[in-house]
Amino acid sequence: MKDTRYVMRRPGQAAMMLKTKAPFNLKTFFLHGGIHLFMLLVCITAMLPIIYTLGIALKSGNGLISTDFSLFPRMITLEHFKTILLEKPFVKWLINSLVLTIGTVAFTFVLGIPAAYAYSRFNFKNKNTHLRVLLLLNAFPSILAMVAIYILFNHFNLINSYWGLILIYTGGMLIFAIWNLKGYFDSIPVQLEEAAMIDGATKLYILIKIIIPLALPAIIVTGMMIFISTWNEYIYAINFLQNSKQYSLAAGLYSLQGTEYTRNWPVFAAGSLLASAPILVIYFVIQRYMISGLTAGGVKE
Amino acid sequence: MRTKTNQSKKTLNLYLYISPAWIMMGAIVIFPILYLLYISFTNMNIYHWTDYKLIGFHNYFKALTRIEQGFLKALFTTLIWTLSNVLVQVVLALIISLFLNVEGLIGKGFYKTILIIPWAMPSYISALIWRNGLFHNDYGMLNGILRAWGFQKVAWLNTDSMAFVSCMMVNLWMALPFMILVIFGGLQSIDRSYYESASLDGCSSFKAIFYITLPLIRPILIPAVVLTTFVTFKQFDIVYLMLQQTGLKTGANIHTVITYAYENAFITNNYGYSAATSVIIFIIIVFLTLCNKKYIKAE
Repeated sequence: MKDTRYVMRRPGQAAMMLKTKAPFNLKTFFLHGGIHLFMLLVCITAMLPIIYTLGIALKSGNGLISTDFSLFPRMITLEHFKTILLEKPFVKWLINSLVLTIGTVAFTFVLGIPAAYAYSRFNFKNKNTHLRVLLLLNAFPSILAMVAIYILFNHFNLINSYWGLILIYTGGMLIFAIWNLKGYFDSIPVQLEEAAMIDGATKLYILIKIIIPLALPAIIVTGMMIFISTWNEYIYAINFLQNSKQYSLAAGLYSLQGTEYTRNWPVFAAGSLLASAPILVIYFVIQRYMISGLTAGGVKE
Repeated sequence: MRTKTNQSKKTLNLYLYISPAWIMMGAIVIFPILYLLYISFTNMNIYHWTDYKLIGFHNYFKALTRIEQGFLKALFTTLIWTLSNVLVQVVLALIISLFLNVEGLIGKGFYKTILIIPWAMPSYISALIWRNGLFHNDYGMLNGILRAWGFQKVAWLNTDSMAFVSCMMVNLWMALPFMILVIFGGLQSIDRSYYESASLDGCSSFKAIFYITLPLIRPILIPAVVLTTFVTFKQFDIVYLMLQQTGLKTGANIHTVITYAYENAFITNNYGYSAATSVIIFIIIVFLTLCNKKYIKAE
């Protein structure tokens, strides 16, 4: 018993234990205190707009039409949350948003995964040109394409339909999905496939049975990022859908702040908090992958 | 013979994998670019919706030579907007991350968690909260605080210069956390022993920032700066939602190139002219992308 305890204390551990018991140092104390004070200020600035919105959403009566300013409401009420959930078509918008986002993620994967796999595994002459053209196309701000897509969709009766919007969102997300997934597919050793190939498996079988399960973490993160940007899209939705009942959550909230502004502000505040909540959760789960994924995109070649 | 059929079978296979994606991108990305290119040479507008005709480079001349049209001003605004935002973000993020990275500081995880929130908020919601909640002239939080402290209220969004500063504040609030998280991540990957040996050699910690920290985080910093530059250049939500919403304009005449092209297409319905400005914007962005690729290769 004594022996094992002795073994566990390796030199590194001893050093670590010494470090935590460092003697009190006045200089360090003031340095850390100053940093904490500064960081507290930064954090308050970061949180203030959200705390303020929460205050507006919870304040009873019309929080806006009172010139006395207070961050924390004196009377708390859930009335505005009730209004947005029951009187406004919030639930309808939520369902619409889910249809649009899930449709977009699924469609982007159906088209994007095979393409990403081909760009990762097939060798052909113009492969690098293809990939470079994709990057240049990705530079095009999608908002500028709106008039052209409107005219195109008018011909095919795709205005005012979810199919139309899903096509637009898919087209916009495909390049990101292809690049992101190709990068991950590249990191999967090709030997696994060669073994399956010798056993007579087809490429499609390999893709579905070997590559997709192995790349599942990357696929999930990519899917969540597509989900987020579709969930937050409003400008195409308000221009391509004519009936506000059909709106997505983002388009609905946008229209809410634009009309009957003063009366709806606390309701908008409540709705915006509800709409942001799922996105915040996703960010907390995948932020580490997002940061490395986003910054790696700039250097991949 | 056998290899030839094998080869064609392989090509067929390849097209089966990539053509669905390309057809989709053809309709949603490539077609609009070609279409914009075409109508940029026409006089398509609200009076000539179907009976438009080719007018050569007229729209391009209009955009690039007539100052009063506003495109050159929007372009200039966008450049200033991009440069100032990226510069302020990088400097502030470096300072904050260096503070966070001080050895033995507790609560790093807490601060990081708080900083994720503004970054994660949907940008349209952030912009609308700032516009309707914080910047509102009479009921807004900022003027509320100013009033409580006995100051005059400020018209945050109504004059050009103030509106530019206000938009920058919002962009900073939204985008700075990402830069901090990136740089802080880079700093954490630097081995402390570099600093220890530097300080043994008599290097001050201020000098160490320039000779150790910056060169070592460069591979992480550069892609983040490039990404932020493009995002800031293409930023639409902040300027549009804060200042230029249809029917809710604040009076400030600030446009970035993207909001300018959008306004000319959808508000004043000058499609031909808007298309010409869109093509110019695309050329600028493609040029920047190519420069960036060249630069990365040269590294």
